Amino acid sequence: MTDEHPRVSDEFAKSITRTEELAYELRIHEVMSENVHCLPPDIKLEEALDIFQKERFSGAPVITNGDLVGLISIEDLIRALRSGNLDVNVSEYMTTKVVTVHEYDPVVEALKTFSRTNFGRLPVLDKQGKLVGIITKGDISNGLLTALQRDYHAEELIRYRASHLFEDIVSHRTSLILRYEIRKGDFIHGGNASSNIKRALLRLGATPQIARRCGIAVYEAEMNLIIHTNHGGSLRVEVEPHKITMEAYDDGPGIEDVEQAMKPGYSTATNEIREMGFGAGMGLVNIKRCVDEMRLISSRDRGTNLYMIMYLDDKDNTLNTVN
Amino acid sequence: MNLNEIIQNLNLKVLTNSKDFSTIKVKSGYCSDLLSCVMTGAEPEGIWITLMSHSNIVAVAALLDLAAIIITEDAQPDQQTIDKANEKDIIMLSSPDPNYEVIGQLWELGLRATKN
Amino acid sequence: MKLTEIVDLINGELLTQEEDYKKDITGAMGADLMSDVLASIKPEAALLTGLCNPQVVRTALIADIRTIIFVRGKNPDRETIRIANEEQIPLITTSLGMFEACGILHKAGLLSYELPANDDCA
Repeated sequence: MTDEHPRVSDEFAKSITRTEELAYELRIHEVMSENVHCLPPDIKLEEALDIFQKERFSGAPVITNGDLVGLISIEDLIRALRSGNLDVNVSEYMTTKVVTVHEYDPVVEALKTFSRTNFGRLPVLDKQGKLVGIITKGDISNGLLTALQRDYHAEELIRYRASHLFEDIVSHRTSLILRYEIRKGDFIHGGNASSNIKRALLRLGATPQIARRCGIAVYEAEMNLIIHTNHGGSLRVEVEPHKITMEAYDDGPGIEDVEQAMKPGYSTATNEIREMGFGAGMGLVNIKRCVDEMRLISSRDRGTNLYMIMYLDDKDNTLNTVN
Repeated sequence: MNLNEIIQNLNLKVLTNSKDFSTIKVKSGYCSDLLSCVMTGAEPEGIWITLMSHSNIVAVAALLDLAAIIITEDAQPDQQTIDKANEKDIIMLSSPDPNYEVIGQLWELGLRATKN
Repeated sequence: MKLTEIVDLINGELLTQEEDYKKDITGAMGADLMSDVLASIKPEAALLTGLCNPQVVRTALIADIRTIIFVRGKNPDRETIRIANEEQIPLITTSLGMFEACGILHKAGLLSYELPANDDCA
């Protein structure tokens, strides 16, 4: 609980936009001081002054049975000193009209309250109205600085991983292969593999747009394996610096008319599947829209192979351009 | 509210045979893309908003005596489905907007989910 | 629109941890067909749906959906809630139907967040 206000340096000013964002993203409970030293309303001001001097406090909440009843600050004590009246209870001089903030409010709410009210500290309450902490401008500055540093480290780590994987390894063709076995009828875990693939792509440095498009395509393919195959099938994703190849294959029953299967709205799904929100006949259409290249090879005796390819080189978003 | 007001205000395309829509009352609205929900939730003389366009929707609408179906996102039922709707006297309408937008506009017009 | 406002407007109940309560939502889509959601929803939207299985959360994750609103009083199972908490996708349930919930939110200014069907899905 300090009132020191870290100065904004030139270095810091460069990331001012991110700071502004953080004021909305960070919540008060993430930056506030917990374990607040509280005072009861019925101790003498003399005693409060001693505590303030010893602990170097400039203010403290006053509580009875966990409920906030007021706030006593060093200014209140000075006021009492001036009138030579330190032999009365804290409750006589404390501020009772306390402005509070909620622990899950964004930090920007506290900033607004500070500029509106001129208070130096704001008690923080939980949903039940109990005191859980206190926040000062200094807490906010420290919290923002810590968060900025954390952001920077996370970003650095991702870049390090991505560049390390595809830049420092020298080969004629470097790639990373992810494989998933998908069980027939396994609706409980349906989409699990696709979520993991999407996350992997993001970690490897793919843009959110690329990760989303690949995610959607491979999710539709995964649900097809769950819904339409005899025994499930496999997903195989090969990640290369300039290309992501996603493959779904199964051993049957195969698609009778591939051209018809590609038509929007065409579906062989049962009513039961439709009631689960799938089988609208949009899956393959969706996949085609999402990826750069799609190939569907199917026969009655050999099952189905679906290739989905996303090229990364023409969009300035290859996985190894990170420096 | 009558069906003509809805068709005019939302600029809907009529997929089935034309008739005097101003004589058809619409008492409520219902939206779902799951047949089982529609079966339990939609009310007679209600209007059903869905992006489904396969032939089962006609059977459900007939069974529930719905005033009309609005098929969203320009989903196109096949000719067989349209023929079946005409045969069963089910009105099918179409909008390029998604469910959410169509409902928003119907709500603006004052249509609610329940009869009263 | 804040998640809290949405919860209030549709008289809903938040099923996941409170941490995500302050997320800002600017648009919505209502659908029960997940393929349609995957085909057309813009990122960062609220999804209103009557479907209630883990696939809805998976779909949300893949399509970058901000929050899921279960209509018709649907309550997801513990596993679904667990995944949502883990992936930080707030879940809301309301006893209102799809029609009412969409109508109220649309009226309150929450935009339609669905792309025309022929648009690129990126």
